[in-house]
Amino acid sequence: MSTILEVKNLNITYKNKKKNVYAVKDVSFTINKGDSLGLVGESGSGKSTLATALLRLHPKHSTVITGKANFMGKDLISISEKELLDLRWNELAVVFQKSMNSLSPVHRIGEQIEDIYRVHKPKATKKEISDRASYLMSLVNLSNRVYNLYPHELSGGMLQRVSIAISLLHNPKLLILDEATTALDVVTQGQILDEILKMEKEMDMTRIMITHDMSVVSSSCNKVAIMYAGELMEVGCVEDIIPNPKHPYTQGLLSSFPSLKGEKKELRGIPGYLPDLSIKHEGCIFATRCKDVMDICRKIKPVKKIVDNKQEVSCHLYGGDD
Amino acid sequence: MDNNTYIDIKNISMWYPVNSGLKSIGKEKKWIKAVDDITIGIERGEVLGVIGESGCGKSTLGRVLVRLENPTSGDVLIDGQSTKNLIKNDYKAFRRLVQIVFQNPYDSFTPRDTIEKILMRPLRIHDIGKSDADRNTIIKEALEASGLRPAEDIMSRYPHQLSGGQLQRISILRSMLLEPKFIIADEPVSMLDVSVRADIISMLLRLSKENNASVVFISHDISLTRYISNKIAVMYLGKIVEYGDSEVVVNEPKHPYTQVLLSNCASIDPNERMNKLSVEGEPPTPINPGPGCYFAPRCFKAVEQCFNKYPDNIVLENGHYVACDRYNK
Repeated sequence: MSTILEVKNLNITYKNKKKNVYAVKDVSFTINKGDSLGLVGESGSGKSTLATALLRLHPKHSTVITGKANFMGKDLISISEKELLDLRWNELAVVFQKSMNSLSPVHRIGEQIEDIYRVHKPKATKKEISDRASYLMSLVNLSNRVYNLYPHELSGGMLQRVSIAISLLHNPKLLILDEATTALDVVTQGQILDEILKMEKEMDMTRIMITHDMSVVSSSCNKVAIMYAGELMEVGCVEDIIPNPKHPYTQGLLSSFPSLKGEKKELRGIPGYLPDLSIKHEGCIFATRCKDVMDICRKIKPVKKIVDNKQEVSCHLYGGDD
Repeated sequence: MDNNTYIDIKNISMWYPVNSGLKSIGKEKKWIKAVDDITIGIERGEVLGVIGESGCGKSTLGRVLVRLENPTSGDVLIDGQSTKNLIKNDYKAFRRLVQIVFQNPYDSFTPRDTIEKILMRPLRIHDIGKSDADRNTIIKEALEASGLRPAEDIMSRYPHQLSGGQLQRISILRSMLLEPKFIIADEPVSMLDVSVRADIISMLLRLSKENNASVVFISHDISLTRYISNKIAVMYLGKIVEYGDSEVVVNEPKHPYTQVLLSNCASIDPNERMNKLSVEGEPPTPINPGPGCYFAPRCFKAVEQCFNKYPDNIVLENGHYVACDRYNK
């Protein structure tokens, strides 16, 4: 399988006059073609920071990014602005939670689609664009009528579908969905997830899905990465991690979700709060809230281990520090 | 309803007039039927979960139950007493009896007051405790019992200095200090992080059990609602379409809408994955729906008769009922 994206030792630091906030620390992972990776964590764990860094949307003067993100031969962190413009939307697309709010209220949906389409293909004809658009609309279960409507005439779910359709205009290789379905209703969310899965098969797309909802990941992704305080705690396949989480944080996160039909287990939260990210911490970042904490956890940072030949875990519980 | 019913919601409706300006003059008045003729009973100490899509009227129901809005028609009986009369005769007693916890903890506190002041106010108004020093100890004990330690430190803080989880805990405490018998929790955890949700839920349940209070838990999260409630009511466009024991409703849903809702609910366990039933379109507006079943235009079981008459409640075993004529077809 060919690798689409390889992130290596990525660090993202927000800077201001008073302090530095280490939002993402030493994150490495790879995504193969056709994968769908779910990035899960609490709010403030740095999942969106990571995604915005891959898209290079951070303001330059206040963020320091180091490390590498190899996206099909190009390093997303260091390429020039011009190369990046070529890449955006063509190869790399994004849908945010509030993407629907970025549609212009005074232009018809169709006009906006034409506008965006012509950014990369300036000579495209109206016919060509509307053909492509109607194909994408049918993928996300919208009627062609939408093409001639204004955003205020559509509901939130329909607008979010439009945003997803627009993000796919140029057949991107990698799609990043940043909480794209969080604001929607259960039924709408279920349907959009279904449509995304269908599209993926048809368009041969790779996807990163950022969410705080484990159940969304378990029903729509094949890989999952658990993030806590800017670090990856556990990475692996969904069918390995969800029934059999190794890292205490993953275990805690999973036990705070009730299951829909299974037996009613006692719900347990994770005590404590996210640590202050403006201080550099020694040892394991999760140690202060961990239920299995040992002496070593407070002193030495755990390294990534492959447990059971399957999932990557950063925890002292699974082997010494070799 | 049986004799154990403590809260008796009787034919309650909340209609809002539609104001469409000059055009509507002389025409028949239009209504948004946010809550339409709901009858339901809650026992002492029971937790009733209300689920449904956004815009189905679940929050309006909550607001009407605490009388933040006066219902268009219908009444709620608490222990046989009409709340309509209760609120007229003794406003304070009613407010002490019925309390609500809102969704957004950041918005439900005065930003200029310390937590101590915020928690002190309801105690003073309702004359709980003999002196301020007495009330101070009550607050301190309650905070400590809910894991907000050190209590003195928290009491001297302002709302913006606390996290969402802490604030929601205080919000629940503020309601619970009055020892209400009827609590409405309107999406109390949907703004919070998953890792703190569980603690807040257990705290809410523990406190309501101590008081033997009845709880209405409004949420769109089906798995969570099933976890905490004894009974579940499913709402669609202001009407209850299915009601029953939470296990029964979740495991053997009868109404097509409940089936759709459940099949689209993403579950954490990959083995629980179901075939999704799809519905067409979005919920229609609640402006003069009907005359048939409100769900009929989106329903996969709909036949012609569904469009003509709103179905009656069909009672199944153990109080489980469903408003669908074709539930077993």
